[in-house]
Amino acid sequence: MIQIEINDPQYAQKVKIAQSLYQVIDPELFVNIIDLGLVYNIIYTDNTITIIMTLSTPHCPLGDAITSGVNNALSVHFPGHAVTVQLVWEPKWNFEMMTAEGKKLLGIA
Amino acid sequence: MADINIAKAPKSYAVLPFYAVGSLFFLTLSTLLVFSHQTLLTQFLHPHILAIVHATTLGWVTMVIFGASYQLLPVICERNLFSNILALVSFFGLLSGVILLIIAFWFFLTGFWMITGGTLVVLAAILYFINVTVTAKKCNKHAIQKCFMISAGFWLLVTTVMGLLIAIHLKYPLFNTNQLQLIALHAHVGFAGWFLQLITGVSSKLVPMFLLSRNKPEKYLQLAFLLQNTGLLIFFFAAIVGLWNNIVWIGYLLVIAGVVYWLLYIIAAFKSRIRKPLDFQMRFTFLSLIFLVLALFLLPFIMHSWPMPYIQLYGLLVLMGWLSGIILGQTFKTLPFIVWNYHYKSLNGRVRVPLPKQLYREILVKWNFYFFIAALMLMCAGLLLQVNMLFLVGSIFWLLIAIVFVWNVFDILLHKTKKSDSN
Repeated sequence: MIQIEINDPQYAQKVKIAQSLYQVIDPELFVNIIDLGLVYNIIYTDNTITIIMTLSTPHCPLGDAITSGVNNALSVHFPGHAVTVQLVWEPKWNFEMMTAEGKKLLGIA
Repeated sequence: MADINIAKAPKSYAVLPFYAVGSLFFLTLSTLLVFSHQTLLTQFLHPHILAIVHATTLGWVTMVIFGASYQLLPVICERNLFSNILALVSFFGLLSGVILLIIAFWFFLTGFWMITGGTLVVLAAILYFINVTVTAKKCNKHAIQKCFMISAGFWLLVTTVMGLLIAIHLKYPLFNTNQLQLIALHAHVGFAGWFLQLITGVSSKLVPMFLLSRNKPEKYLQLAFLLQNTGLLIFFFAAIVGLWNNIVWIGYLLVIAGVVYWLLYIIAAFKSRIRKPLDFQMRFTFLSLIFLVLALFLLPFIMHSWPMPYIQLYGLLVLMGWLSGIILGQTFKTLPFIVWNYHYKSLNGRVRVPLPKQLYREILVKWNFYFFIAALMLMCAGLLLQVNMLFLVGSIFWLLIAIVFVWNVFDILLHKTKKSDSN
């Protein structure tokens, strides 16, 4: 799961980005991608935002919808930034990466 | 870190018509079943029964499986579908072929209509096989599910060609063999080659995905693939050369062993699931597997002496219990997501959108689960006790399932985009 350090110079922006990403739901699991632990890193510059993330299943049938969701959510809150979603399969996602809230939402806590 | 391109979902016209028409065939066969209930109690090769069996295997089960496969193949192969157009042409081939076959069987019009229907179905099977093979060939990653999809497509082709030859044989005799054995071979290549292998491959991907399973012992699947195919090849060639009472049993036992390994894989996925509560879609799936096991226990007795009504009972367990059961549940694990993707993919994260499960009525799936149990219990009891009324009530329950299912499916298919601003 993503950790944003309080001493990160872009702490405020990254928190705002993470908050925007709470609106992106994995339609199969009905849980947002932050609580699922799918977002690994956020790279923020003055003009660009890069989201490094994974999917719960490689080539998840709804993967396209999730990555579009990331673009959509960020384009609303950061209209001046070019958004890139970088999908990675390493490290492989597992249930331990979910937040406590995510586990609760999924009924497995 | 590599930027990975994810496969795009196939075009809606390559998937949705199969679900729409498949559900309508389900309604058709269920209606025909009510009208033919008396015939089914006493005969199994009556023209009306043949029409219902082909409406079930081709119009209902194969139709929905084609649609689901075109959607799932890119997920399994991690590549886009080779051709959406071929998928659409296969739809028209299968649709027109099945309609002709149902009419030809019902009125027993051997010759032109039956042969034309059979030819169109073979054409659809060829197009399906091309699409599956080329899509899978482009996939660099080895996945056992891919092997099952290809082998299932191959056995579908063998099944449909055999069916066409039997249709020709009915008008222009080609074979000297016992006609009943030819039909049994045709049916079991379809059962153990097409349906079993396709369902083994697809379920081994979907069940752990839906249950969020930790344990997925791939070795079991590899053994399942090897045993099912070796068994089927032995069965096929033994039957071709007429060794029905000897080597054919080895084939049967190997296929059974292949089924056992697949079920062990499913059990491992089930036991290691993170998602503990089972929704009704998954309950349908697990219940359908029980009907498959019952059918496989019954098979040796049928192979031995072809007694009635056990042969009809076997057909009921395979076609209604196993195949229909799995589709009645899994349709609502796939179709709402497919339709949701077309409507809301571009809106996700921008506005508040409904969830896929809000595209249909979950309560109807629950009702259908209980109707399904009632219908099968009544029909099985009616067959075994030879009580017409029990079978009739069971078939009426079955028709009720079809009506509820079609209602729910068309609720999804005719969904209109709904959105509300969340910002």
